[in-house]
Amino acid sequence: MTAANDVARVRGTFAYAIDLALPGMLHAALVRSPHPHAEILAIDTAAALADPDVVAVATADDLAGLDPWQGVVVRDQPLLAIGKARHTGEPVAAVVARDPAAAARAAARITVRWRVLPPVPSIEAALAPDAPALFDQGPPEHLPKGPGAEAWREPARNVLWRFRFRAGDADAVFARAAHVFTDTYRFPRMSHLPIEPLCAVARWDGDGGEVWCNNQDPFLLRTDLARIFALPEAAIRVHALPAGAGFGAKSYPKHEALTLLLSRLARAPVRLALTWDEMMLTLSQHAAEVTLTTAVSAEGRLLARRALLRLDGGAYADASVIVCEKGAYRSLPGPYRWQAVESVGEVVRTATVPAGSFRGFGGPQACFAGERQLDAIARRLCLDPVEFRARNLLRPGEAPWPGETPMDSDLEDGLATVASRIGWSSARAPGRGRGIAVGMKDGGGFSRRSLAVVKLARDGSALVLSGIADLGQGPERVAAAIVAEVLGIDPARVRLAPIDTDRTPHDQGTHASVGAAMVGLAIRRAAEAVRERLLALAAEVIDEASGEIALEAGMIRCGNVVLSIPALFDRAFGAQGSELIGEGEARNPFDAAAPLGSRCGFWMPSFAAAEVTVDAETGRVVVERLVVAGDAGHAIDPAGCRAQTEGGAVQGLAQALIEALAFDGEGRLANGAPLLYRMPSVLDLPRDFEAITLEHGLGPGPHGAKGLGEHAILAVAAAIANAVADATGADIRSLPLNPDAVLSAVAEAAGEG
Amino acid sequence: MVDHTERITFDLDGRAVVATVATNRLLIDLLREEFGIIGVRAGCDGGVCGACTVLIDGVPATACLMLAVEADRRRITTIRGLERADGTLHPVQRAFLEERALQCGSCTPGMVLLASALLAENPDPDEGTIRGWMSAALCRCGGGAAILRAVRRAAELMRETP
Repeated sequence: MTAANDVARVRGTFAYAIDLALPGMLHAALVRSPHPHAEILAIDTAAALADPDVVAVATADDLAGLDPWQGVVVRDQPLLAIGKARHTGEPVAAVVARDPAAAARAAARITVRWRVLPPVPSIEAALAPDAPALFDQGPPEHLPKGPGAEAWREPARNVLWRFRFRAGDADAVFARAAHVFTDTYRFPRMSHLPIEPLCAVARWDGDGGEVWCNNQDPFLLRTDLARIFALPEAAIRVHALPAGAGFGAKSYPKHEALTLLLSRLARAPVRLALTWDEMMLTLSQHAAEVTLTTAVSAEGRLLARRALLRLDGGAYADASVIVCEKGAYRSLPGPYRWQAVESVGEVVRTATVPAGSFRGFGGPQACFAGERQLDAIARRLCLDPVEFRARNLLRPGEAPWPGETPMDSDLEDGLATVASRIGWSSARAPGRGRGIAVGMKDGGGFSRRSLAVVKLARDGSALVLSGIADLGQGPERVAAAIVAEVLGIDPARVRLAPIDTDRTPHDQGTHASVGAAMVGLAIRRAAEAVRERLLALAAEVIDEASGEIALEAGMIRCGNVVLSIPALFDRAFGAQGSELIGEGEARNPFDAAAPLGSRCGFWMPSFAAAEVTVDAETGRVVVERLVVAGDAGHAIDPAGCRAQTEGGAVQGLAQALIEALAFDGEGRLANGAPLLYRMPSVLDLPRDFEAITLEHGLGPGPHGAKGLGEHAILAVAAAIANAVADATGADIRSLPLNPDAVLSAVAEAAGEG
Repeated sequence: MVDHTERITFDLDGRAVVATVATNRLLIDLLREEFGIIGVRAGCDGGVCGACTVLIDGVPATACLMLAVEADRRRITTIRGLERADGTLHPVQRAFLEERALQCGSCTPGMVLLASALLAENPDPDEGTIRGWMSAALCRCGGGAAILRAVRRAAELMRETP
């Protein structure tokens, strides 16, 4: 099947948000802080306003009357800096002009008088006893959650959030453990840099507004815009156009509200499209420090783990609170069986680029640390890394602790698959190292509800209305396959409608790999409702004496009577036609017995095995072979599953060897431009690269489907790091493994030896 | 600010066109805004991502690093110039669909143009040559392996139907 959107993509006719132009549309440019931390003394906009091409200028003064704070759980980020800037590149003013060049020219003419404040460039600096406070924080607030879980808002200076989860009696288990190991790992942050940057076009109409954007959360955005502008939600309409990828950069509200404000000020439609340089200043992955204390029995059984996941949240909360909670709760324990777990997650505020959603959502940080430590433990105890993992993995149906979703993948099968494909038991060629890793993340969202509508037309084609955003992951193909199967029609006759919050049924957002399993289930139920109506309609027009009515291959059959869908519609509704509509819902309900208040929709395991060579002279690592496997439950779109696995694996490889944002000693981005920030190309791909889709059939979606959009990034970096450790004898504790880092780790290992 | 303009003529996807352009105007803006060719994808604005790749007299170039006036009397091929007038897709386009060598599609036009230029020059490239050429654009979705498969498949298709 060839999806219509993909044909348009190869023909170069597929339109994204950045291709949209409204009549009379003006263009905005932003003035950004050159300082990581500085007080705003005065902003002089006179020169910009004097430009005949300039229509409007906005500063914090124009936020009066709005509720201008954005963020998930904690709202601390203003649409434009109020009083001070907390990271280099923070927007402090905006200009609207007749064309983009005029807007940029005028933005350069706005002068800001600053009083530079002390930098807060890192977690260490933020937690120092004399660190400057980035916010006037309120008193700490304790927030109890479900069994074993609790959180604290702003528990200490520059600490945004602390989360703790406890299961079992850790003290008792540690007291009787044969071995206890404590290790600390450091994880750098990548920039998402989807090819298409964030872009919004907004039109204020006097009583509300309409926004066209590439944000993947149109309904959350509608709610947020209504709050910010103190309007009913009905006054806001959001169109989520297909996005040129995202990886997290386009989730949760971003600059859409500012764009709508600019439209209100300029009294015309306004477009604000960010550049790649600006994207690098807008949001990043979380850098992290992870400390794991792990108790192991004399027989090599994992007993208990105490873990601290400390995230560099950057200047503002964005989605850090939930990244922290999910990473600490679901990914620090990993896919293993424990008698006791004590996980702590912390978000530290620094005066750097804000961190937020990034594919894996706290999982890559936790998985790198956890899987590196398991390898180090295996080495210390002289255990085989595969066997050590296999004996401790959760089994299908086994819950990691009470109140959580039981394991719905066959983890031992996944591990055995990648181990066998890499030839784990065969001898290694000289100079090569092998590594293996298993990652774990939840999928399917938190107390989530998805809705879908399917409309069957007289001509036998179907239109699906669903809030699943198209980021290139192929929702059109998944929807078409599901509806085509239920109604027996050709998938090419199923379309996915553009997202418009006035018309599309509500969805809580395209997050956590929800598409195939959760939204897919809602779509399937909607298609089943259409099928029932179709059969009921057939019963109206066909003489019941003919026999039982069935829908087969898109035709109504009843005894000798065979009716096509158009013929049935004509008999039932006449020449003017009509349509049949079905709706469907999928829910992951609140659950008071679940530690986070809701069980996860499904588990998303990740299996990777790598074989590397390391050049001892230069420190260059080459991944010679990479095998990656994920569990689709049931692969609705097999080529799409493979694409998700290969794509996530390449991001994991980049994380392991290539990509990292670098900050100078004051917290300024040191490689904040496409030319300075190295990204992987096809030259970096392993020559031997295998992506495997497992189908364990235990997921909640159609035929046991689950999502796998985020799995591959979890285990790949750890598998490569384990392979480098195996090849060199170095205890790898940080990423990326660029030549300098590898040479230092090797030198350190040699010194210790 | 004094705007200097020049009148240029060039071949755009097989038809002769004329444009009056500011001398500081970029080729990417001319193609996207005046000629409405959204398949010239905008990306990094710095010649790194390759999304805006076009062919100048058959040779790949990033339109974001070229001035519009440089198109004068040249032959510019965008993604829209690859398919036949009747809409039949170029073998490279067919191969990208067959191998699902696209996810979000932002890099796809540039990748397809790179591959078509490679195969026009070398109908049977070895793996190193394919990787060398295709590294001129970035797929942030990580679809490089599928793109390499598609280029190999396109070479087969072009050998089958010359």
